[in-house]
Amino acid sequence: MRRISLGSRLALLFAACTAAVSLGAGVLFTQASEQHFIELDEQLLDTRLTQLREQLTGLQTRQQVVDRLPELRSQFNLQTDVALRISSGTGQAWFESRQGLPDANQSAQLKTLQAGGVDYRGLSAPLIEHDPQSPQLTVLLDITHHQHFLQSMQRLIWLTVGLSALATALLGAWAVRRGLRPLRQIGAVAASVNARSLTTRLPVAQMPEELAQLAESMNAMLQRLDDAFQRLSAFSADIAHELRTPLSNLLTHTQVTLTRPRSLDEYREALHGNLEELQWMAQLVNDMLYLAKAEHGLLVPEQQVLDLASEVDALLEYYAPLAEDAGVTLLREGELVIEGDRQMLRRAFSNLLENALRFAGAGGVVKVGLQAGGQVTVANTGAAIEAAAAQRLFDRFYRGDSARAEGGAEHAGLGLAITRSIVLAHGGGIQVECEAGWTRFVIDFGKGPHSGPKDTSAGLTRNATP
Amino acid sequence: MKLLIVEDQVKTGQYLQQGLTEAGFACELSADGETGLHLALTGDHALLILDVMLPGRSGWEILQAVRQAGLATPVLFLTARDAVEDRVHGLELGADDYLVKPFAFSELLARVRSLLRRGAAGVQDTTLALADLRLDLIRRRAERAGQRVDLTAKEFALLELLLRRQGEVLPKSLIASQVWDMNFDSDTNVIEVAIRRLRLKIDDGHASKLIHTVRGMGYVLEERQD
Repeated sequence: MRRISLGSRLALLFAACTAAVSLGAGVLFTQASEQHFIELDEQLLDTRLTQLREQLTGLQTRQQVVDRLPELRSQFNLQTDVALRISSGTGQAWFESRQGLPDANQSAQLKTLQAGGVDYRGLSAPLIEHDPQSPQLTVLLDITHHQHFLQSMQRLIWLTVGLSALATALLGAWAVRRGLRPLRQIGAVAASVNARSLTTRLPVAQMPEELAQLAESMNAMLQRLDDAFQRLSAFSADIAHELRTPLSNLLTHTQVTLTRPRSLDEYREALHGNLEELQWMAQLVNDMLYLAKAEHGLLVPEQQVLDLASEVDALLEYYAPLAEDAGVTLLREGELVIEGDRQMLRRAFSNLLENALRFAGAGGVVKVGLQAGGQVTVANTGAAIEAAAAQRLFDRFYRGDSARAEGGAEHAGLGLAITRSIVLAHGGGIQVECEAGWTRFVIDFGKGPHSGPKDTSAGLTRNATP
Repeated sequence: MKLLIVEDQVKTGQYLQQGLTEAGFACELSADGETGLHLALTGDHALLILDVMLPGRSGWEILQAVRQAGLATPVLFLTARDAVEDRVHGLELGADDYLVKPFAFSELLARVRSLLRRGAAGVQDTTLALADLRLDLIRRRAERAGQRVDLTAKEFALLELLLRRQGEVLPKSLIASQVWDMNFDSDTNVIEVAIRRLRLKIDDGHASKLIHTVRGMGYVLEERQD
């Protein structure tokens, strides 16, 4: 079930508030006017009673009342709203100025009474004070017109309540619509976001305070979407670009081979050529998938205690023949024990070592330094990396020397990107520095792992120092 | 030695069947899970090669059913997905090995042979030999034609691997993994250099060469008449 809209809800609430307030005011007003009427009536009746007592002083028997009847009749015929009853001390009615008067208790208090559909207020008093045998005078006031007034008053109040509630609902709806315009703006922006317009942002500065936070969160979300999308686009573009060359080689080579009959050796040669391209492509796809996993935070390292000295020694032993052939000396200095994933770290270091071996050149030195603070440096002698190149060194498919782009590269320029992904997944940082004839890759495992959430995605933690 | 391949990609299945048949194995091929399971339960196979994503029944379901039926046949999974959970799931269900596409056929062949050998692990050898090459595993000594050959520890391990699996083409990645424990695709030039050095010590100066390069596939230790 769809929930009632915010606008309708607020309008209804406004209307309810107005209705309650006006109803309260109406009730108070009604009570006040009723009280006012009572006071007026009491005053009037009191005055009349006093006059009558003076007028009828000395009256004691029924006969005396009968004697004065004409006088009383003519007096009360003129007054339509006031009536008089004279009764004996025992409550027997001697005179009633009109018919159908209510029976009144002998009371000195003002009473509201009813008889024959007419409302009266009555006030009684003995003619002679402090004499229980004295005849009683009761003055009655017809208050029908008061009641009419109060009834019409009540109708007016209900009308006011209804109309003001309606008016507030309508005005409230309009005000809410105006007030919630920034919300609709957010909605409109959200609706307009698609793959091509991820750069759209909400104007936070113009938002009311309550919505600014929402707008900011939404902008942050858009930013993340944009980043992820850019990465994804770049990723696909990179793959397509990198696969294009080997694919076109394969196509050309295969078609050329098939254009005319060839010797068995030529066919074998062609297949071998294809095999090399295919192996390169398989390697590329595997590396790209590895990076993709890393960028989506799926690279979760095991946490085992590793003696990096023995790990590095194993790697140096592995690369020893290659280094010897290249005339490069391999060295390891220091000790370090950290927690991490053995295979992943081996892979990370081996990429760095391969890179260092490649650029050290004959007679060069590759030195792995382990520092107790959690730093691992892989340094090689050789020409310094240009500042511009150092910035891009950890990018996918970046190759230090453009010559290597022409095939022969085992890792299609993904080695350092993979290394950085692994280091980031371990909560560390990597940077490259060049000084005094050394190129030094510095991995810092000490910083980061417990200092807040780590973004393992590429491009955010690059601190290459030229 | 009969193998069962369950693979729904027709080309992949055919190539695998061809390759394994030519490598000397009898192969049955099934393209869907139901038939595959039926064959796995009724045939007497030495090894099952299962794709994970299959029509009818997934590779995992086949494995489960096979294990429930009390069969201990080794199982090698092939998959295009490389999620850690997938790997763990497969191994939990009792898979013996796991290969992620794209893989090299030489890699698959080497794994198949490893799995088949695993069941038949017999007496621990103390010496390995091929032609006039001898390896004394206890005294860590190598001899070629009666002449002692000095090998480094890793060279010894490499030669031991080649001798244990003589006649098999060993891909560089497998050598790196078995000898150096490098279980990722590293710069394979390292293996080339290591093999070249071993050749210098083992084959140099001998008329019959034992270490051979199989281009694009790997290396093999065998006696060749040529």
